[in-house]
Amino acid sequence: MNPTLYKASTELSHGASMLISNYVFPNDLHVHWSMMIVLYPYITGLVDGAFIIAALYYLFDVKSLKPIARFSLLFAFAFLCCATLPLLLHLGRPERNFNMLLTPSPSSAMAGFGYIYAVSMGVLSFIVLFVYRPDLVERGKKAKGFMKLLYRALTFDSNDLSEKALALDGKIIRFLVGLGIPVAAVLHGYVGFIFGGVKANPTWSTPLMPVIFLFSACVSGISAIIIAYIIIRKIGGHSVDSDCIRTCIKTLTGFFILAFSFEMLEVFSHSYLKTGYHHMVEGLLNGPLASSFWLWQVKICSVIPLILLGCMAFIPLKDAIYTAISGLVSAILLLQVFIMRWNVVIGGQLMSKSARGYTEFHPEWFDKEGIAAVIIIMLIPFIILFVLGKIFPFWAEERKSGIQ
Amino acid sequence: MSKHALRIAFVVASVVLMAGVGFVLKAQLIPKSFGLYGPYRADAIDEEAQRVLKHGTNASCFGCHQYEATIHLKGNHKTISCEFCHGTYSDHIKNGKKIANLPVKKGTEITTLCLRCHNTEIKARSTMVIKTVGIQDHLKKQNVKLTHTCNQCHHVHAPLKYINEAKKITGLMEVKP
Amino acid sequence: MIIKDFKVNKSCVNEQLILSDEKFPLDMDKRDFIKKVLKGAIAGSLFLVFPMDTTGGGNFDKNSTLKDGISTFDPTIKLPEEIPEIRDRQYDIYKQNFAFIVDITRCIGCGSCCVADKREYNVPDGNYRTWVERYIKDFDDQVYVDCPNGGLDGYQKPRTDIPLNARDTFFVPKLCNMCKEAPCVQVCPVGATFISPDGFILMDSDRCVGCAYCIQACPYSARFLNPITKTAEKCTWCYHRVRKGLLPACVEVCPTGARKFGSLNDENSEVYKILKGPGVLTVLKQSMGTLPALYYMGQRLEVV
Repeated sequence: MNPTLYKASTELSHGASMLISNYVFPNDLHVHWSMMIVLYPYITGLVDGAFIIAALYYLFDVKSLKPIARFSLLFAFAFLCCATLPLLLHLGRPERNFNMLLTPSPSSAMAGFGYIYAVSMGVLSFIVLFVYRPDLVERGKKAKGFMKLLYRALTFDSNDLSEKALALDGKIIRFLVGLGIPVAAVLHGYVGFIFGGVKANPTWSTPLMPVIFLFSACVSGISAIIIAYIIIRKIGGHSVDSDCIRTCIKTLTGFFILAFSFEMLEVFSHSYLKTGYHHMVEGLLNGPLASSFWLWQVKICSVIPLILLGCMAFIPLKDAIYTAISGLVSAILLLQVFIMRWNVVIGGQLMSKSARGYTEFHPEWFDKEGIAAVIIIMLIPFIILFVLGKIFPFWAEERKSGIQ
Repeated sequence: MSKHALRIAFVVASVVLMAGVGFVLKAQLIPKSFGLYGPYRADAIDEEAQRVLKHGTNASCFGCHQYEATIHLKGNHKTISCEFCHGTYSDHIKNGKKIANLPVKKGTEITTLCLRCHNTEIKARSTMVIKTVGIQDHLKKQNVKLTHTCNQCHHVHAPLKYINEAKKITGLMEVKP
Repeated sequence: MIIKDFKVNKSCVNEQLILSDEKFPLDMDKRDFIKKVLKGAIAGSLFLVFPMDTTGGGNFDKNSTLKDGISTFDPTIKLPEEIPEIRDRQYDIYKQNFAFIVDITRCIGCGSCCVADKREYNVPDGNYRTWVERYIKDFDDQVYVDCPNGGLDGYQKPRTDIPLNARDTFFVPKLCNMCKEAPCVQVCPVGATFISPDGFILMDSDRCVGCAYCIQACPYSARFLNPITKTAEKCTWCYHRVRKGLLPACVEVCPTGARKFGSLNDENSEVYKILKGPGVLTVLKQSMGTLPALYYMGQRLEVV
């Protein structure tokens, strides 16, 4: 892109100790998919993971998850609302984004985005509305003016809370959640496939990519729910349901073991198969990504949580300590997934298609796709969540007190 | 059917209706030539085909510059494009009229230009394709000042023109069958 | 690497293309030999670069009127046609078959092609529709590649940053491979890039959303995002020139005939004769399964 980048690459070539000179194709110096494309799968991953928690309660009847089931739905919804923001910021011509819906190319993995997103948004919204209908009806009765109208619209103008009506709602919820699982899996799995389907990039093109993305999505989503639950409850001066936390952590442990195994399997297969591009992948992981992959993603953010999760599984801990460690593990795992996305998306692009060299990526603060934009986008879902909290009560027992 | 079920049926119906409206709208907004040959806008092919030419061919230059043409076409540089050294046709002629003079390279610019192709130091040049020189060696060998530019001996359009003429005069020219 | 499936037909071998020693006996004076070879070889390619007939060239009809709505003057009208059977006839988009051949052994790394390309399309600095790489291979099989500024400034100086024990050095021009199974076309979500029925992969910059997926998908890195229009761009083999019966700009300016372009429907074209002949042709990254229409002659296996 700019002359400084070129200089950087030639400097690299001088000190290269590899078998081959560090040569980057002239069009490969610029990293086209930068932080926004790191953020996008991160956000849909959070949506996915949060939705899994809700699904475990509403579809698979994991009763201990009751305290956070409703909250996870709202959490997923808040983040899903912002999932398109990084994509719009990334697009060179964001004003043309509707072309995705107008003329989706049947051969492109990316083309389905608009429709998959629309369906998942619809399904999730209706799940939220049906789950919250009893609360909304109660609140609507007490509300006045505009709020009354809003509650009427959100309850489909039906204040029928009879057993028969609630049973129908229950069936619809189960159906929608059942539909939501494949939709959520497709929404996020296809993000993995967008990378996995790029044969030109040897670190991306593996059928494991959608699987890794799905499992790490569950990890990040569940972690986020755990942290959010603990923090919001503590701030409000409420108690934390330790049974619920323990179930979450068990689920999280399972998903994280799967995610980490597949992440390592991918690296292992590369280094064992030693295909034509092996030297490039090896050089990438041990060169430009040495600290962000081995140190941060693997050692700090994967091995430490694994040890902690092991302790939590095998050592009987007091609830308060368990909760504290849960928060810590979840925070580390949230970071792990973010770093993993970074290493896949940006790391993968550092390899030039010349198979002879690596380019560099330096994030900027105040760019359309800069760090500041990332922070702002990550704040918006919390603002949405705050507003939603005014209409939809987060926790189940607040409803009971509200009815009186 | 209860009132509640009726409401839900109404919601489902509105979703279906909205989707239907969406698809009708979509059909309206797709460009006309889209899908003629495949899932793309067929008019884009014609638009690309009508892109304005910047380069002509050597023949477009020779039409007016006939004196240069006679020299250029006889020399060893006949395969060299006029526009590479002088600039594109479109910078010179527009709507059949001259709009600007194209630059003529001078002095060391010429040497630099010559050495783009003829520099022996760049070893990747097949002797079957091009004759190369180490410029310093060449100047020394020819007993001329090291500040000489190429065009002081070589006509840029026909590099051996003067040399052959000189050889003819001095009788050094090899006689060819 | 592909080895073309050849039908041996000696009578069809283009004699102009063979730099055979038989034509120039070995006992010739070396300089003379080179001179003759140059004459023969360059004349051979020159014939394809532009027909020698200059009588028609440039005697432009100043009254030629608006033809395509873009310019009132169409410089192609009196220009000799370089690709036959295109002008003045119905262009049957389904019946075209073009090929591009790059002859590594003839490339001298002058960078004329890169300059012409930048001028023809006003390519923004730092982006390249075509570029020329320099390869240096030493006796330990180390390969050193560079491509300063895409070859736009030519190669004025030898590399000084590497131990010089060169076994083989050569230049490799790169451009769009016009894959028959193009990954860029496959991944474009909005149909903004496509394979036209005549085999060209073109961009519809009016529909491109600038997602850069095609740039990720192209194994040859032939694409870039134009920093001004924010849409993807690529080499088109000068589609606008080809449709006017002219050669691509890079082929037009190549002084050595290293770049060859032509129609395979024309049995007299150089590319037809090469593809029909017994020479070894390869494509880049064959394992990607992209089936390029861009062939390389004299390609070394180190080239990716």
